Parts: sequence; C-alpha cells; structure tokens
Amino acid sequence: MSRDALLAKIDRANAGRGSDDVKAAADALIAEPDRYRVTFQAMPLFDRFVAKATSETVTATVESLDGLAHLPAAVSAYMAAKDLGKRLALQPRASLTSLDWTGFETVDTAHMNEPLALTFADAAIAETGSLVFQTAADAPVLLNFLPLHHLAVVRRSSILPHMEDVFDHFGTGATDQTRSLNIITGTSGTADIEAKNVRGAHGPRFMHIYCIAD
Amino acid sequence: MKQTSHQFAANVARALAEPTLKIALDRTTTLLRTRRAKVIDEFAEYAQARDTAEKIKDHTLDNLGHYLRQFEENALASGARVYWAETPADARKIVTDICKSENAKTATRVKSMLGEEIGIAEALTDAGVERIETDLAEHIIQLAGDPPSHIVMPAMHKTQEQVAELFAQKHKEPSTEQDVTSLVGSARRELRSKFMNADISISGANFLIAETGSFVTVTNEGNAELTTTPPNTHIVTVGIEKMVPSLKHAAVFLRLLSRAAIGTEITQYTTFFNGPKRAGDRDGPENLHIVLVDNHRSDMLSDFLRPMLRCIRCGACMNHCPVYAAVGGHAYGAVYPGPMGSVLTPAMTGMKGTKDLPNACTLNGRCKEVCPVNIPLPDMLRSLRARQFEQDMPSGMSKWGLRAWAMLATRPALYRLGTAASNMALRMMARGRGKITSVPLAGGWTRTRDLPQPEAGTFMQQYKNGRR
Repeated sequence: MSRDALLAKIDRANAGRGSDDVKAAADALIAEPDRYRVTFQAMPLFDRFVAKATSETVTATVESLDGLAHLPAAVSAYMAAKDLGKRLALQPRASLTSLDWTGFETVDTAHMNEPLALTFADAAIAETGSLVFQTAADAPVLLNFLPLHHLAVVRRSSILPHMEDVFDHFGTGATDQTRSLNIITGTSGTADIEAKNVRGAHGPRFMHIYCIAD
Repeated sequence: MKQTSHQFAANVARALAEPTLKIALDRTTTLLRTRRAKVIDEFAEYAQARDTAEKIKDHTLDNLGHYLRQFEENALASGARVYWAETPADARKIVTDICKSENAKTATRVKSMLGEEIGIAEALTDAGVERIETDLAEHIIQLAGDPPSHIVMPAMHKTQEQVAELFAQKHKEPSTEQDVTSLVGSARRELRSKFMNADISISGANFLIAETGSFVTVTNEGNAELTTTPPNTHIVTVGIEKMVPSLKHAAVFLRLLSRAAIGTEITQYTTFFNGPKRAGDRDGPENLHIVLVDNHRSDMLSDFLRPMLRCIRCGACMNHCPVYAAVGGHAYGAVYPGPMGSVLTPAMTGMKGTKDLPNACTLNGRCKEVCPVNIPLPDMLRSLRARQFEQDMPSGMSKWGLRAWAMLATRPALYRLGTAASNMALRMMARGRGKITSVPLAGGWTRTRDLPQPEAGTFMQQYKNGRR
C-alpha cells in the first residue's frame, strides 16, 4: 500500500473524529502545565537543580564558580584529584577556548577512550537536574558521550524550571531546531542485569558540573 | 523471531520447569515495582499527568492523518528521507535496500521493539550486514541467541550468574570478577570500537513530533547517541502511533515513561533528532532515513483495540502481571509479551495461533491500574475472548464447560445445591488443616500451590443467616 492509500485508510477510520482546529485543540490539552507536572515554587531554581543533579539516581557532582576565568584552575584540581594527567578534550567553543589553558594538552575531538572532556551546556532543567546541549559547528555530540569523565559548564542564569521552558527558550518550531538536542541527566547507567543500577555503561561514568555565577 | 504463541501451553510448562527463570523474574520485577511505586508516590500531579497523556494520545489518534502529513513535511524539510511501510516485509525491504545501496558491512543497532516486530535481524542478514546490538540487554541476548523476554529489559530472564558465564565465553577481554559493575565494564570494552566503526546505525524512536519533524530516543546507557552519531547513515524504523503534536506534548509523556518503566523521574539521555548533519557540524550522519510502519495499526484505529495505540511501551503492565511473573516473556512466544502483548499479538499477527494469549490473564486489573496512559487492558482481553467465541475458536471441552456452567447458573436452586455440595467436599478434603494439597481433576493447579480451605457455608447460606 502506498503512502496515499495508507493515509486515506487512516482518514476513513477517523471519519467524524478529527478536530476542526487541530492546533487549538492540541494546545488546549496542555494549557495548564502546572496541573500535570512536578511543581516546586517554594524552592529556588538553583537549589532544586543541585538537589536533583546530585541525587542518588542522577549521581552528578556540582561545583559553583564565581566566573568562567576560574574554570581552568578548577578543572586542573579535578584532574589532579582523579590522577587524570594533562590531556583535556575541550569543546571548540570560543567561551571555553578563550580561557587560559596553559599547562593542559587540549584537543578538540574525543578519541574512543577519551578520559575527560569539558563542554558547555546551553541550559539546565531544575525539575530533573538535567543539562541541555544543542549541536552546533562548535558543539559536536560525541564530546558529551565518549569520555569517562564528563565535565560540564552551565551558567546559573540558564537554569530553567522545566523541559517546556527549554523548548520556549530555543523555539518550538521546525526551523528553530538544531540537528540534535541532548537532554543529559547525570551519568550513563544500566539496570539490564537483574535491575541492579550500575554506572558507566557506554557513556560517562562521572559527571561534574561547574555552575558559573552571572 | 519465530512466533510460538500457538504452543503457549507447552511454552509455559517449559518455563515453570526452569528453576533459574523464577529467580531472575522475581529479582527484577520486584525491584521495578518497588521503584515505580516510590517515584509515582512522590509525583503529586500523577493522576492529572496520566489523564492529560491519555487525552493527548486520543487527540493525536483522532487526527492521525493530519499529524502524519505534518510530520512528513517537516522531516523532509529537515533533510531526512521518509518512507511508508504497510507490512513488516515492506519495512525490511526498505532497510535492506538502503543497506545495499550504501554497501554496508556492519550495522550498530539501538534497541527498538518495532525493529523486533518487523524482523530487522532478518533484514540485515538478507543484506549481508553484520548486526551489532549496543543496548546491554540486547547485547546479552544476541550473544546467547535468545529472543527478548521483556520490552524494556529484554534480558530479564537471565540471572547475573548466567550473564557472567556468557561474557566469559564470548568476550575478547572478559572481566575476572563476576559482579555487575565488572560485567558492564566488559561489555563496554567489547562494544566501544564497534560504535565508532559501523557503516550504518539503526534505531527506533519513542516519539515522533509532528510540529518539528523530530523524533526522540530515550536511553539510560547513552548508546542511542553513541550508535547513531559516527556512521554516515542512520535508519529509524518507527510505528505510526508514536506521534505527538509538539515538543511540549512530548514532555508530558517523558515524565510518565521513565517513571512507569524503571521508576526514575527521567532517563539519563533524552535526545531530539532533527534531520541529518548540518553544514559546519563536526559529527552526525550525512543521511537520515525515517521508515514509518503501519503493520495493522491502521486496522486497530477502527476496532475496539483502538486505545491500545496509546501504548508508550513502558512495560509496567508486565512488571505487575502475576502471569508474566510466573512464566516470563518467552512463554508468550511473541515479540510483545505480557498483557500489552496479549492484545497486540492477535491484532498484528491474527487471532489464529494466538488464542491462548487473551486467556492467559486473571483479570486482576493491575495492568490497567499501573498503565501511564490508562489503557483498559482487561476490557480488551475480555473483548478478544468474546471475539474468539464469536469466531468459534474455543475448544470443544471449554465450550462444553461453558454450556454446563450456563445451565447451572440459570437454575438458582440447582446452582446453590452444587455450591453447597462442593463447599462440603472441599472442607472434608482439607481435613481441618486449613489447606488442600490435592484436588481430583485439578492436579496441575495444586502441584505448585495449595488451595485454601473454604469458609463454612456458601455465600448464599451465610447471607441467609444474616452474617453479611
């Protein structure tokens, strides 16, 4: 059956059911999001984000920094504490590459067994403790997935309450989308053997988040 | 996989005789039920979320033609190619043709039940392509040569000990330790270079977004992104019922899916894909093919099975099903096991050869209770039984039994006499021990459990005595 025949069959099955104004009917169903999603009005966004990101199920660690300029020292301390050497896969984004990385061996693409990568998150979600990454010429996907340690930077001002706010922020239309939008909530895990939770399945085993005050 | 639903009784007998299966099922389903209950308790808005999700799915199905056209238009504009497959064979041919035109030798795959449904493994074999499963559970069952036994956790039938033994035999650098962390590490080492070097990646999708032409995958392992980024070509095979109107509508389901499936608020990785690699992008596939699969979904639209098209494949119904917990997924002999499978399998593969499935249900109602989109599974299973009766499918024995029961049930005096007599007989068989270990003609039932001793007097006798 061709495309047209299948669509005609579906239209026949739905005869008399369709909405007159489909978009209006769809929008009406989600007009009051606070009735069907987790609410936390009493808690500041930053506190909620940290509580969720560092929870038992998300397993990230969070460090607050006063400005981006403090990042190289903080990363250096992390690498020293974990005995990770000097190699750093650095997202080729001006806000990161413009910092002073003297003393590091920086590369801009991750190899298969990359120990560590540093990437900039475009937003964060307080509801779930998630980070949001949009692909771009200076923001490839694999840097967020290949390393064993994923270090992520996020501006405190880009923490948004809910996933819906992320869509509003970046745009909900077809032409607003980049190739992919990755919502990453902590470290790679699996429960595929007897439902026991284990970290570092295929992606990062550790996630450390730098929240930049601004 | 080869469907064996027609020999359900033999499958069950084999499953019940398998001692480690019960251990594996108990360990896993208990944990999943506990985690789900906790995270749903913490979600104060759950009832409203579930109601909203149900309404969104119904609205989308009512306007499915509109949304499919809108999705196609936007996906094409994003640079993807869109294909329509009425049957599993059509879908396999599309996949095979793409693999051949790309001259592909290896394909990495992200777990997708739709892929199992259309027989993707067979399609790849036909195209001479080596298939590499990347989801840990799919990797386990690929090594073991087993079909999946659960839609979220396909290796649920394997104990940790069995996985350790399997990896020791099959992995290049197996771990010397047998704890779960070491086993996961062994699979990570084994699969890493395969992610990077495959010619083609194949995934399913959890949602299609009409307004943007996007599709969504959710995983906890991160294997969807690792699988679909390096190869030059990404093929997505997806059922047409996965549609939702917009990104914000998808958010409603993302809150429910992970909670219902594994008892967490969100999966670790939720990715919205929009077309192939863009100018300037450093990674991502050059070619993106989206195969929209019908396989009787359009038939279900004009049938009492229509609400089944709401299903988001969370697996909660099977985790809470006493029949599933006793026999496991393989006994159902089909791609989709448990309560949702007992509805979908007859709908997709026909009533013939699947007649035991709707009857393998105690109608306890737990599946509907835990369903995040409120699918009336027990009602549909009952309706399927009625359809079987209309099509004259039950065996002579069960028809005789039903007629005998109807004769009794429509003669109250006889019925009361019968129940009083069997009540007395059962109390005598219990011999005051409170339980009955064997009943004539019900040896199969009492082999693995005892029957409790009935109360003194039937319901009607007690009712008359005023002991309500």
